[in-house]
Amino acid sequence: MDKRIWAIGGGKGGTGKSFVAANLGLHLASLDREVVLIDADLGAPNLHTFLGIKPSHPDLGDFLTGRVPSLADAAVATSVRNLRLIKGTENILFVANIAHFRKLRLLRQIRQLPTPNVILDLGTGSSFNTLDFFLSANPGVVVTTPDPTSIENTYLFLKSCIMRVLKLYMDHYKIRELHQKMLDQIEKNSQSLYSFFKSLMETDRSYGTILYRALRGFRPCLVMNKSRGEDDDLLGRSMADVARKYLLIDMKYLGAIPYDEDVQESLRAIRPYYPQHRDSAAARAIRQMSEELAYSIEFTLRTPPEIRLPDA
Amino acid sequence: MLKRIEDWNYYELLSVERTASPDEIWAGYQAALSTYKDGSLALYGLVSEAERGLILERVQEAFQTLRDPDKRKEYDLALLRHAPYFPPKAAFRKSVGKLEIEEAPARKTLWTRLKRLFVKNP
Repeated sequence: MDKRIWAIGGGKGGTGKSFVAANLGLHLASLDREVVLIDADLGAPNLHTFLGIKPSHPDLGDFLTGRVPSLADAAVATSVRNLRLIKGTENILFVANIAHFRKLRLLRQIRQLPTPNVILDLGTGSSFNTLDFFLSANPGVVVTTPDPTSIENTYLFLKSCIMRVLKLYMDHYKIRELHQKMLDQIEKNSQSLYSFFKSLMETDRSYGTILYRALRGFRPCLVMNKSRGEDDDLLGRSMADVARKYLLIDMKYLGAIPYDEDVQESLRAIRPYYPQHRDSAAARAIRQMSEELAYSIEFTLRTPPEIRLPDA
Repeated sequence: MLKRIEDWNYYELLSVERTASPDEIWAGYQAALSTYKDGSLALYGLVSEAERGLILERVQEAFQTLRDPDKRKEYDLALLRHAPYFPPKAAFRKSVGKLEIEEAPARKTLWTRLKRLFVKNP
C-alpha cells in the first residue's frame, strides 16, 4: 500500500486547520486504516485538545531533543483504535525556532514512518518551517474561511509556497542570481508571476521551463471551512479558479465544511467532534473530502515537486 | 500553459471545456460572474479593481459569443486555426480493487429500450 502524507495548512489562525486534521484522522481511523496525526504546529500546538487528550510525554519535543530515538516512538495511542498522535511540545520556544538540520531529520522521519496515512497539522504563517512541511506533503490542503482576512492570507500563503518552491529549485540548479530578480518582480501585482516567467522565458528558456514545471508540480487543495451557505461554497470554487489563473498553480477545490455550533461545544467539553456527530453536515463534508483525498487516482499519481532541501 | 489574462480564450475564461454543452456554458458563466462581480471576495488582495472590470467585460463577451451557435461555430473555427484541441481523457476513479469510469452513462440494455417503446408508463 502506498503511503500518503497530507498536510493541513493555511495562512491564517482560527480557520480550523486542527479541526480538519483531527477529524480527517478520526474518520480514516474509523475506516480501519492506520493513521498517525502529527501536531507540526511548532509554535502553538493544540491538536491533542481536538482529540480530547491532555498534554503528556512523549511528544515531538522529545524526539527533537533526542530523548526518544525515532519519531515512531513519540507517537502515543489515543482512545480511538488505529489512531496515534504525536503531540506538539510544551517546550515551545526551543521547538518553534527549530534548527535546519533538525527539521531535515524530522522530515526524513515523517517519510519513514511505517504508517500508511500520516496527517500533519501545520501552524499559521509563512515561516520556512511551515512551508517546507506543507510542500513535503502529497497533497497539501489549505484551509480557509469566507472572511476577507482569511482569503487575503490564503493567497499570501500560496504565494509564499510558490516562492519557496522556486527558490529551492533555484538553489538546486545554482541559479541564485534569479532569486533577487524574483523577489523584486513578484508581489507587485496580480500579473507579477506571469510577467516574471515571461521575462525569464525570454532571457533563459531552459531555466524558465524548469521553474515553470516545478511550479506546475505544486498542487495544493483548498477547503472552505465554516461555510454558511451556497455562496461560500461558490466562493471556494472561485478562489481555486483564481489561483489557477493568477498564481498559475493547479489547485483543486475539495469542498466546503458547513459552520456548526457543535464544534465549539465539543471543544469546550474537550471531546472529539467526529464520533459524536457522525450525521452532521460538517461530518458528511469531512467524509466526502477524505474520500476525495484517499481514493482519487489523481492523488496517487500526483507526486510532490522534487525538492531536495540544501544541507546548509 | 503560461498565458496572460488577455490571452485566455473564451472557454478558459468560463473554465469550461471546448466541448461544453449550452448548460455547462451557462453554469460556467454564472460561476465566472460570481468570481468577477463587483466586491467579489474571491479576488480580495490579489486582483485590482480596474483589472476586475476588464475581465468581467470579457466574461460577458465570452458568454454572448458562446451562447449563440453560429457565433460559437465561427469562434471555434478561428480558435482551431490558432491552436489544436485535444479533448480531455475520461475521468477514472479508483474504487475498492477495481477501476471504473466515473462518468460512464448507465448501460442501456435491450430490455429497457424495448420497454420504452412498448410500455407507456414504465
